[in-house]
Amino acid sequence: MTPVLVMLLKTLLIFGGVITLAAGMTLAERKVSAWIQWRIGPNRVGPWGTLQPLADGVKFVFKEELIPDGANPLLFRLAPMLAAGPAMMAIAVIPFAGEITLLGQPTTLSIADFPLSALYVVAVSGLGVYGVILGGWSSNSKYSLLGGLRASAQMVSYELALILALLSVVVMSGSLDLRKIVEAQAGGLLQWNLWRQPLAFLLFLLATFAETNRHPFDFAECEPELVGGFHTEYSSMKFALFFIGEYVAMIVMASMTATLFLGGPEVPYWPAAPWFVQLATFLLKTGFFLFLFLWVRWTLPRFRFDQLMGLGWKVMLPLALLNVFVTGLVISLF
Amino acid sequence: MVIVKRKQLSLAERLYLPEVVRALSITLRVIFKKKVTRQYPEERMVTTAVTRGQPRLVLLDDNKSLACVSCGLCEAACPAYAITIDGEETERFIEREPKRFEIDMLRCILCGFCEEACPKDAIFMSDELELADFSRQALIYDIDKLKRPRAALQKRIDYFYGINDRWRKRSSTS
Amino acid sequence: MAETLFYVLGALCVVFAIGVVRARMPLFSVLNLLGTFFCLAGIYLLAGFPFLAATQLLVYAGAIMVLFLFVIMLLNLGDAAELEKHAGLSLSGRRLFVACSSAALLGLVGLGAAEMSTAFDARTLPAEHALDDLEHLAALLFSRYMLPFEAASLLLLATMVAVIVLAKRQREQARDTSAASAPAESQRKENGVLR
Repeated sequence: MTPVLVMLLKTLLIFGGVITLAAGMTLAERKVSAWIQWRIGPNRVGPWGTLQPLADGVKFVFKEELIPDGANPLLFRLAPMLAAGPAMMAIAVIPFAGEITLLGQPTTLSIADFPLSALYVVAVSGLGVYGVILGGWSSNSKYSLLGGLRASAQMVSYELALILALLSVVVMSGSLDLRKIVEAQAGGLLQWNLWRQPLAFLLFLLATFAETNRHPFDFAECEPELVGGFHTEYSSMKFALFFIGEYVAMIVMASMTATLFLGGPEVPYWPAAPWFVQLATFLLKTGFFLFLFLWVRWTLPRFRFDQLMGLGWKVMLPLALLNVFVTGLVISLF
Repeated sequence: MVIVKRKQLSLAERLYLPEVVRALSITLRVIFKKKVTRQYPEERMVTTAVTRGQPRLVLLDDNKSLACVSCGLCEAACPAYAITIDGEETERFIEREPKRFEIDMLRCILCGFCEEACPKDAIFMSDELELADFSRQALIYDIDKLKRPRAALQKRIDYFYGINDRWRKRSSTS
Repeated sequence: MAETLFYVLGALCVVFAIGVVRARMPLFSVLNLLGTFFCLAGIYLLAGFPFLAATQLLVYAGAIMVLFLFVIMLLNLGDAAELEKHAGLSLSGRRLFVACSSAALLGLVGLGAAEMSTAFDARTLPAEHALDDLEHLAALLFSRYMLPFEAASLLLLATMVAVIVLAKRQREQARDTSAASAPAESQRKENGVLR
């Protein structure tokens, strides 16, 4: 009985934590954008505006729900779930920290550990695009449709680079298990894959921006051209669900980058660190990449769509292939 | 025809990344700069005499009766037809005063023509800028809402005389 | 538990597969196909091939079906009645053709699977050589099954080239005929295409 309870407790804790973090990200987005524009940002609701996400949530609940005329009602309702669901599923294998004792049982601080966890994250988070495509298609609006089309083209192009960048890390550590990848980076700062695979790091980082539809690759939304892109016709909690999905996907991708290239929960030069130090380290590393998402968004202008495709297919894919090839060669030779 | 010459980009610029890093460093520095936000209800804008806010009626020194003689010049000058005046006779020396003086603040465009048209210095643009209420009717201001003691408008009155005197001098010399 | 799950997944798989053929809108066909892939991934997982399941999701659900959706949305195909106008075969004839070729394909795959099953049976493999072991899988794929693997990729490449050639020829033909009949309109069309 206890293992089941432990599992439930872990799920609740991690899921709740990530959702809270996603809510915090909406505030952070507004705060960081304000700072970069010499403003202060939301500061009226609660101290420093900390209750702003709550206020936004309440507002979303009370908004009127609209289903446009001619929209496909089934898919229109299904799309937000499909957008948010996969991102939340991908949380399951993220290693937040190492050994921990819950209800007297030793366990690890991640909902599940299994040998193919890295592959699982990529496979599941890649499904998030269906929500965007179907949301765009079922809205019966040209802007939404174009947003959905762009999202699908973009996702397919950049997933290749993402997986190939991941592959070179996997080749380095010889396992698809995120825990083993973390273990392989234990020790000092120089053990991080960031130094051993700089090109893969760069490609992975760029691909995560495209995968999560963030600036400068946010062609699925693209306000100046497409009004709001795939979520033009959405309102109320459906709209909110799209955004929760987007922020959770960002958290997943940031924590994946931290895990694959910065050693995840591993504390440099302190192998036997207690779990809360590991968790703090992990959150620090992930937090940096989350901040990077916001920082880049309010710094760079949007690409043009053909530039995006050119970058994906003509630059990133060949580089990623080359990187895998060279890594494999070096590994097999030495 | 405009010919746009494309700038030849160097290799570093074409690689994006050095330029991206440069842009990021700029925005990072901005984050720690002093913020320019004015926290509105607590910190209000500093107005000067030049500020042309909503028009207000000047009270005479007894703080009861208006300087207005309801001549109707401001009503005629108003390009937005925001002013409505009904005059009546009075026992006071000026013989006429407004029974009803209404400015529809929803129509008023704050142009200041009424101020310039007024022969009796009875209406001036104040530094009051805020305009919000729950009904349209409440935003049609009557005498009670419009009247202000002379002291409240003194800054504007002095400024107004200042520029008008200058104009007068210039026209007399030419 | 596992057996019940297998039957549930199998039944769902069949239901979705029927849905692929039955759906009036191409988009729903694709979604049903997606459901089939999910059930298949579940079955792989039950059979003890998590790598295969993950790859199934990654490649088919994550990439190929997205491309399908992309194409369907670009062409903006309506319901089947609209499709029928453009197709040479009647709808029932086409369905029969699809059913027959699917059955033939299934038979081929079944034969191949029966042939392969002795080599790929996870139970007969020693524990350290389980299919989950990526190194072993990769070694097999690049040594013993090198030829079938390369042949399959070559087949896919050939299909791709053939499709592009066919599509290009069709477009050129359309352009030629319209150019002969009404040059002004063809000019307009070409502009539209180019734009």
